[in-house]
Amino acid sequence: MARRPTTIETLAIAALALWLGGCGPADPPQFQLNTEGREPDSIGRSQREAILGALDRLYGTPDEPGVPRDVWLDLDRLRVAAGPTFGDEQGRRFGLYRGHCARCHGIGGDGAGPAARLLNPYPRDFRQGIFKYTRTASGAKPVREDLEQTLQFGVPGTAMPSFARLADDDRANLIEYVKYLSLRGETELFLLQVVVDEDEYLPLSRSMVLEDGVLPLAELWEGAADLVVTPPPPPPVATREQWLASVERGRAAYRNEAARCVDCHGPEGQGDGEEEEIHDDWNKPKAGMTASHTRELARRFTLPVQELRPRDFTTGILRSGDRADSLYWLTHIGIKGTPMPAAGPQPGVPGPLTPEEIWHVVHYIRHLAGQGKP
Amino acid sequence: MRSPLPRRFSRRRFLAHGAAGAGAFATGFAAPAILRAADTWGDLVGRFVYDGPPPERPRLTVDKDVVHCGQYDIRDESLMVADDGGLSNVYVYCRERRLDLCPELEQSADEQALLDNRNCILVPHCLKIWHTEQDLFIRNSEPVAENVAFSPLGDRPANIVLPPPPAEGATATWRFGRPQRVPVPIVCNYHPWEIAYILPLDHPYVDISAADGTFRIEKLPVGRREFQVWQERPGYLITERWPRARFRVDVKPGVNNLGTIRIEPAAFEKG
Ligand code: HEC
Ligand code: HEC
Repeated sequence: MARRPTTIETLAIAALALWLGGCGPADPPQFQLNTEGREPDSIGRSQREAILGALDRLYGTPDEPGVPRDVWLDLDRLRVAAGPTFGDEQGRRFGLYRGHCARCHGIGGDGAGPAARLLNPYPRDFRQGIFKYTRTASGAKPVREDLEQTLQFGVPGTAMPSFARLADDDRANLIEYVKYLSLRGETELFLLQVVVDEDEYLPLSRSMVLEDGVLPLAELWEGAADLVVTPPPPPPVATREQWLASVERGRAAYRNEAARCVDCHGPEGQGDGEEEEIHDDWNKPKAGMTASHTRELARRFTLPVQELRPRDFTTGILRSGDRADSLYWLTHIGIKGTPMPAAGPQPGVPGPLTPEEIWHVVHYIRHLAGQGKP
Repeated sequence: MRSPLPRRFSRRRFLAHGAAGAGAFATGFAAPAILRAADTWGDLVGRFVYDGPPPERPRLTVDKDVVHCGQYDIRDESLMVADDGGLSNVYVYCRERRLDLCPELEQSADEQALLDNRNCILVPHCLKIWHTEQDLFIRNSEPVAENVAFSPLGDRPANIVLPPPPAEGATATWRFGRPQRVPVPIVCNYHPWEIAYILPLDHPYVDISAADGTFRIEKLPVGRREFQVWQERPGYLITERWPRARFRVDVKPGVNNLGTIRIEPAAFEKG
């Protein structure tokens, strides 16, 4: 496992930073309090300190990450991904997150790095702990393979690039860091609810924070592997006739009224359904504020509101890439953090389509996108 | 009905309880909630009254599935006041965690809490669920497809499609993984006027005021307890008497009556 940078190295970087006119060692980057959706002045000074102090004790800083007691995050990996970017004399790279991701996803994972404002969709704000491209039952956390796939292939049709050229081990370090930012961000949301909304007496009990604001969230990540949805084998589509028959059955299932695909994606899958004003979870709170409140909007949210379009399958660019299994998962499970619901059966929830119908729908969508013809 | 969801074993919860039990043992007390006599439980009752004329309930815009839903008189449910002032849908719940639970409550608890999609609204409008004992059973009783979506903090979000009956998918069962500190809104992405609230707790010490404004929390462990008060309009129901939307009661065996609790209309104006 990679070793930590020595004091000399750290000093050398600090000196270099000074020399370059950047921030000196006196002000290393800090995590900023998540004030999304709130009037920043409504958070009192002692509340702010209580939240940031608790987070600092549990998770450390952007330069010196920490892992709360009993949480499975791998501190060695986090240390390679965190901190300022540099290489040691053995050619190992540190500060991977700041080097590759922060300009879009932000130092603290708020999805509002310097490049974010110009992008549509915006980079993911990791702090809600919600990920769109997963193979786990609806609402469940992603498994490592999901994040690995996102990093391998990027998200086509968005600014999220592929990091296939990085070493496997570095991608694993980065994935660990994404989970870290995510867990930290969810603990922060918990603390905001308790300290600000509920106006809880201070100081907070440390064991309460750990037992209610850290461990149950960590458990959700631990349990995700048990919630992976396994697609049945696809119906045979080796011949042109089989393919076209499956596409036709898919078209019929797609138009099944209970599934409501047409409401959003339109009768021909061109993303022109009747459903209007769709937003993902990150933009929904902004959508409630009307144009007359633009000043308030700007105070409460870092980035302006962005609408979400249901996918037009006929453009040929699918964000899940060109893999049929990913398309299957998104249709079966739905897309987390968006109004796109699960169509397939899940524990306790039978859903509107059977797994077999979903495979036909997948073939229909691939047909519309010009993918996968035998 | 048997739940389709097996109860998962939680390592951490086991450890937490195991440790508490061991602690009690070491200090010479019996483990909690086993050797408790009837006089160690008390009920908390009271009645909320809206201190003003009952507010109008505006008609909601029904612009989806109009052929079916247009036939109903669908009105705002965010502030429900009876003619005599009784204020319904106020949540009162014990704030403490890891309370002693009265064994009778565990035995008598229903296995499910029901959320019905009926007459193009969600019924009931306010739910509570003892999530360690109960599942949420969701039913679509409509001839059109329904959707039920909610995002509890730090728990799995749900976004469920319910085709019309008799399809198998017209019902669903959901289990919450952890308690919440405030009720969670439940919405339907297809019918934007439909809204309900649910409060998952790991204990049964909660009630929602009924149509006449009354509530009763049964069989609380006696002693000093702190309660939270919440209503959907303002959220935390802050009043002059309760600046933090909470109050303390020294619960005694038998009935502890808070009497009539008058709430000023101004308490509901804050957004
Ligand atoms: C040029 C900007 C950019 C850079 C650099 C970038 N991302 Fe992203 N990333 C995005 C955008 C935009 C999205 C949102 C895609 C979407 O919503 O479909 C995203 C989404 C993601 C997601 C969420 C996928 C999901 O399932 O929801 C992860 C994880 C992620 N990025 C990780 C990383 C990591 C790790 C790095 C650095 C190695 C990185 N990104 C670098 C723009 C970027
Ligand atoms: C409530 C509206 C809604 C409904 C109903 C809906 N979708 Fe979607 N769907 C969306 C939105 C919005 C997106 C884009 C999500 C994003 O980019 O974050 C999407 C994306 C998708 C994608 C992702 C494609 C890609 O780029 O990889 C697939 C596949 C899909 N939908 C299939 C379906 C099918 C099949 C149905 C019916 C069973 C359906 N959707 C029903 C709104 C909806």
